[in-house]
Amino acid sequence: MYKVAIIGVGQTRFGEFADKGVKELFVEAFLEAINDVDKGIDPKEIEEAYIGNLGVGGIQLGNFSSMAVDQIGLHGIPATRVENACASSGFAFRSAVMAIMSGVCDVVLAGGVEKMTDIPRDKLRYWLGVSGDTEWERLAGMTFPGVYALMALRHMHQYGTKREHLAMVAVKNHKNGAQNPKAHFQRETTLERALNSPMVAYPLTIFDCCPVSDGASVAILCRADLAKKYTDTPIYVAGFGAGTDRLSLFEREDFTTLMSSVLAAKQAYKMAGIKPKDVDVAEVHDCFTIAEIIAYEDLGFCKKGEGAKLIEEGETEIGGRIPVNPSGGLKAKGHPIGATGTGQIYEIVKQLRDEAEKRSRQVSGAEIGLTHNVGGSGGTAVVHILRRG
Amino acid sequence: MAYVSIPAYWKTIPQRYSLIGLRCKNCGYINFPAREICAKCGKKSEFEPIKLSGKGKIYSYTIIAAGSTPPEFLLQEKYVGSYPVAIIELVEGPKIVAQLTDYKIEELKIGMEVEAVFRKIYEDNQVIRYGIKFRPIRKRRIHKGS
Repeated sequence: MYKVAIIGVGQTRFGEFADKGVKELFVEAFLEAINDVDKGIDPKEIEEAYIGNLGVGGIQLGNFSSMAVDQIGLHGIPATRVENACASSGFAFRSAVMAIMSGVCDVVLAGGVEKMTDIPRDKLRYWLGVSGDTEWERLAGMTFPGVYALMALRHMHQYGTKREHLAMVAVKNHKNGAQNPKAHFQRETTLERALNSPMVAYPLTIFDCCPVSDGASVAILCRADLAKKYTDTPIYVAGFGAGTDRLSLFEREDFTTLMSSVLAAKQAYKMAGIKPKDVDVAEVHDCFTIAEIIAYEDLGFCKKGEGAKLIEEGETEIGGRIPVNPSGGLKAKGHPIGATGTGQIYEIVKQLRDEAEKRSRQVSGAEIGLTHNVGGSGGTAVVHILRRG
Repeated sequence: MAYVSIPAYWKTIPQRYSLIGLRCKNCGYINFPAREICAKCGKKSEFEPIKLSGKGKIYSYTIIAAGSTPPEFLLQEKYVGSYPVAIIELVEGPKIVAQLTDYKIEELKIGMEVEAVFRKIYEDNQVIRYGIKFRPIRKRRIHKGS
């Protein structure tokens, strides 16, 4: 099997852009990724594309990938839309990696795009609920924040985690986002503000939830032995893993872990031949603050039940033992569903190349980075481990 | 899954109205909701219908804030406001997701004993969808004759 390298990455700012549609966003991320290949690449060298997307205008759109490659002038190549809820482009990236590993392709595009803010509010309410269990959870009046709230309350009950710990995740990620010119929220917040903002689903407040964002992200991958032709600073895919779990939270035995994440991480560490302690920087799926605390445990950054302690001791801040979400994470950087996974890849590639726009946001000397992208309430998860050459 | 049509809802009426679980004849696991392949042993087995008692404890809960409810619950949001949704661990083992009713918000906690009651859940296409909610089990009041 061939080894795989990332030679270029691009990402729009995540946020609310009234003047940009799904096409403009995707083209912007694509052009940045092409220009990011420092020795240059002819876009026609791209042989295949995998693109993450949940829907357009609150509904699914047939042949989405054909539209996307048409917009970037690559009509003709095989293209596939990948949908795994919020993990769509994480799985698109995985498909691109496998296409190269297998020897079918030499150069492949992986990306994602989502336009969420031009959907009328009531339609958005409907649409946001489609990535979990509809038949039972949603028809009991449950929402996505509600499902994570159920996990949070169990984590508090079993391990003594407090609302303050959840708020600490929000404060840290807003602090990082404030230094990221591509983040949706570029402002800091305080523990008091996070704790005292309106409840969305007890015990989660609005500050425990990620925003609804527009955005796109693209990565260009190639066979590792060809990478130096395109760039002096390739970033290598050292390992990956993926998994699934029971779709409905209520059918799971333990609410304080995502089995899909645990399975994905185990495979990725094994393939990369590393241990969790070897990871220098991670972008994890903090769709809600409790999800970041659970991710610390599921990814092995601390023992089960000690996620709250890890955030409290500042170990996941930039400068800490294992900096998590230097981009601001989904919480502050934003969460344009289909673009989030390759957006995490974008951040880790920048970190490993020592190219964070502001030095205060750069994790110094990072050599190994991890991305963790979760679909829905843990129905799917995918982990990638990237390494500097 | 997204929209749950009236026929799709009807198919699950034994579960929604009467809490009928399916005990796998291969491994004994009680599947709720119904399914064709046992969630525990993974076999396409024979299932024995079993009426669940509707008694259980709150395993976890949340309070869905008014303004954030799913579209099916806009009427409830309009007239009731925020409402609690819980995961109930039934005495027979399966967990179930349902709204709470006849509760006092300040007394809700993990471990609280609850029982199933038949209630209206929501309206759609001018059809009322009925199902199960759970209420706290209270000590029976002793009425003195008058």
